Amino acid sequence: MALEDFAAEMDRCSQCSYCKWIPYDQVKSWRFSKNCPSIAYHNFNSYSARGRYAVARSLINGQSGYSDAVREIVFTCLTCGSCDVSCKVCRYNLEPLEMVRELKTRLVDDGQCLPEHQAIINSLNKESNTMGSPRSERGRWADELDLPHLPQDSAEVLFHAGCRFSYDKELQKSARTAVSTLRKAGVNIGILAEHEMCCGGRIYSMGYRDEFTRLAKANIAAWAKAGVKLVVTSCSDCYHAFKRLYPKLGSQIKVFHTVEYIDLLIQEGRLKFQHEIPLSVTFHDPCHLGRQGEPYIPWEGAEKKIKGQIVVYEPQKPRYNGAWGIYDAPRNVLKHLPGVELVEMERIREYSWCCGAGGGVREAYPEFSQWTAMERLTEARSTGAGALVTACPWCERNFLDALKTTGNTMKVYDIVDLVQEAL
Amino acid sequence: MTLPKHVYKILEDIVGARNISDDLAVLDSYRYSLAHTAIHLGPYYNTFTPRGAAVLLPGSTEEVQAIVKLCNQFKIKFKASSTFWSAQGYPSEDNTIQLDMRRMDNILEIDEKNMFAVIEPGVIGATLQAEAMKVGLNAHIPGSGCSCSILATATSYFGSGPSNLYGGWNYENLLGAEWVMPTGDIFKIGSLGSDCGWFCGEGPGPSMKGIARGFLGAKGAMGVFTKCAIKLFAWPGPKTLPVEGTVPAYRSVLPENFKAYTVAFPSWKAWADAVHMIWDTGIGYLAHRQFNMFGRDLKYAMVKILTDPTKTLGDLEELLKDPEVQKVTQDSMRDFQIVLVGMTPRDIAWQEKGFDEILAQTGGWKVEAMNTPEIRNWALLYLIRLGHKNLNLVFGGSYDGCFGLLGAVDFGTTHVEEAGMFKRDWEMHGAIVQAGGDCTMGPIGGQGGGGTGLWENFTCFDPSDQESVAGTLEFFDAATRYGLEKGWGVGMEKWNSQNRGPDGKTTPKEERDRIHLAAPQPNVFRYQNKVREIFNPNNLGDAYYETLDV
Repeated sequence: MALEDFAAEMDRCSQCSYCKWIPYDQVKSWRFSKNCPSIAYHNFNSYSARGRYAVARSLINGQSGYSDAVREIVFTCLTCGSCDVSCKVCRYNLEPLEMVRELKTRLVDDGQCLPEHQAIINSLNKESNTMGSPRSERGRWADELDLPHLPQDSAEVLFHAGCRFSYDKELQKSARTAVSTLRKAGVNIGILAEHEMCCGGRIYSMGYRDEFTRLAKANIAAWAKAGVKLVVTSCSDCYHAFKRLYPKLGSQIKVFHTVEYIDLLIQEGRLKFQHEIPLSVTFHDPCHLGRQGEPYIPWEGAEKKIKGQIVVYEPQKPRYNGAWGIYDAPRNVLKHLPGVELVEMERIREYSWCCGAGGGVREAYPEFSQWTAMERLTEARSTGAGALVTACPWCERNFLDALKTTGNTMKVYDIVDLVQEAL
Repeated sequence: MTLPKHVYKILEDIVGARNISDDLAVLDSYRYSLAHTAIHLGPYYNTFTPRGAAVLLPGSTEEVQAIVKLCNQFKIKFKASSTFWSAQGYPSEDNTIQLDMRRMDNILEIDEKNMFAVIEPGVIGATLQAEAMKVGLNAHIPGSGCSCSILATATSYFGSGPSNLYGGWNYENLLGAEWVMPTGDIFKIGSLGSDCGWFCGEGPGPSMKGIARGFLGAKGAMGVFTKCAIKLFAWPGPKTLPVEGTVPAYRSVLPENFKAYTVAFPSWKAWADAVHMIWDTGIGYLAHRQFNMFGRDLKYAMVKILTDPTKTLGDLEELLKDPEVQKVTQDSMRDFQIVLVGMTPRDIAWQEKGFDEILAQTGGWKVEAMNTPEIRNWALLYLIRLGHKNLNLVFGGSYDGCFGLLGAVDFGTTHVEEAGMFKRDWEMHGAIVQAGGDCTMGPIGGQGGGGTGLWENFTCFDPSDQESVAGTLEFFDAATRYGLEKGWGVGMEKWNSQNRGPDGKTTPKEERDRIHLAAPQPNVFRYQNKVREIFNPNNLGDAYYETLDV
């Protein structure tokens, strides 16, 4: 779609500001009632979904042009999708998340890129990862695991580590733990090592559509060559890319997040826990596992009107509003861990507050990104929990970095680390 | 038009560089489409409120005062808004400074004993209610929904909503207030003005509510309200609303002292009699004809969609063919929703008994399909929190009210059918949603617990469709003529046409004067003109504060 294809939505946006708050039914306090970090931090209307609709309309109608302010308005969107959920509590014919993605793409296509994002693109072009590290070292995180390396070896399941786990030395133990845990349950699992490429999800959320397509097609081809039928990943960004974005390019691969697979293994009795972990924890729903982790449903159709002016779609259009994301699997896993007590934050599941790492914000606007993470840590602390558990290395990295700057003593875990401890 | 650089610099020094902008794209996010809702003057396709000269985000009363004083010094118009739900909060003229009050969003105090809260402009209904419930209190939420500023509804509009019945209107609920007058001087209204605290809007201290806001409020045209105290009322429920269900079909299972019903009546007279009896017996916590906003023909099918997360608007036509839906639709033609809340078990038992007796005497009935646990618990949460009011715009993206049969329920019920039929004919032209003509909705009760009902007939259309917008305007013009011809008066569809014109700017003076001179009591506007001359000598507001100097 082109940005102009959203022109009707720009007019139909209710200008109601629902996009600035969690669904109102779920508001439990003044303190944790906001949903969109971008408007919460910057305050001008233009930093909300309703404002971005207005900014986009202004741009396509030639009423304003590109400026530093416009670039900041567009690229400080974390594409976390919280506005999308809140908007769709009432609206069935608006797609604010899709619109802002298109707006980012328009800026990129028009050369209005940020240097911080361009550096990532350069790294992808050269090394096929977002971390600026050598491609040849991509599989090193698993050196001590003696895993089958596809495509030369074979395995029933492919574990896709993703850029963050592949190169972030502080976090990659969680990738090793994930693989070890699955192997312990009898899963025949392998990796692509240096043949693995970035999923492209993060640059997609920055607006780099062509680069995303190139990476996605390369991964799909690599999977086909290796005969992969099932991909498991511990990275929620990769999970979202594989589950929601790749099917548009023809991928029919089955995808599990590690936490879904572990939940399944627990249900099948293939993982049993023996060690008690006396810990009170709270769970952070990663945006790309939760509200954006809904199943992909193919759709091609067009808008039509019934009853004179009711806007619907022919055929019926799938509704992505966070209802069917992955929320229960991590909670089921935590509930099975002996001694672990789960206490929930106020903003959870489809109306979870973002960690601040997405949409290229971590790279381009580090201060805002860290503020967003701190907000979440403050909320986590308010539950009385001793640890914040999540299921995405990007969330974990942002939380850990925020902790370092503040001296907050909360522990942060990837959920597989607790699983391993309890086995 | 942009501000002179030296003026911008002074403003920047007041609020800080990150709280001021004159970037064109930012300014365009502070323009309101006149093809949209809550305009009450059009709609007009592809027309917007004027672009401001700058947007400022003040963080304190002192900053607001400094801005307003500067505006007086340089004769710059200004307009403050908190949550921007309606065109009323946006500039009416070029070169106006837009104040966005969202940074001032603190709940400064909840006085549990004396049952009030002290709030800043950015506090919305949802957050105030959530905090009030923690101490056994509740906030009245305006009909526009819990997304809106409570201070704005109390100080600058009239704040009517479903809980009028028990919680009053917010213009009544306004207690002490801090007002940065149009000159930049700070005025403390009511008991606050004599250092006696926030508890009263009238005194001891200067009783200035009439000057500062009157009945309808000055809608941001007479200075800036920076703090106010708002009356709260009893909440005999849990400290946090227990919410379950899958988005968007959230619902709340509340204790036995909470009951929600949809009831219907065999005639409009019976409907009105029941409402009078509710007022006479003093029962009820909240009463509203809410879901009829989707239209007499569509409301139950819409409720089925809204309470089922797997359904979308695309299921509407199929649902309308369902015989069960058709039967419920027919049975609930003249309906309303009521929430009974008992402060004690005996209280709720008595209210239920009383309500059943009212239904028996009027021939009314409970619409059982609406009272199944899933729908009832959804409706209960919907009505208490009022967090789904964006459903006003669910069909095509826009709506506005027409007719506005404001008055005693006997007045409204006498004419609602005829108005609905008039609209039904127009719906067949295709520009507006075909919903059954009667989309009349509004609170049941107000002004001391009784008195009014049946407010506006929702008209839904597509703001991106030029023909739909033009056709809606044509219908609204016809509705106005019909209302005048019938002696019902000008409907809500033209309420603001004396304030803002088809170009989005202030209505020309000749037209305003014509409208005000034709009003039943033109002297009200002459009086307001005197008030304006004294309190706003540089005339830095807009025509939403209505005046007449001839």
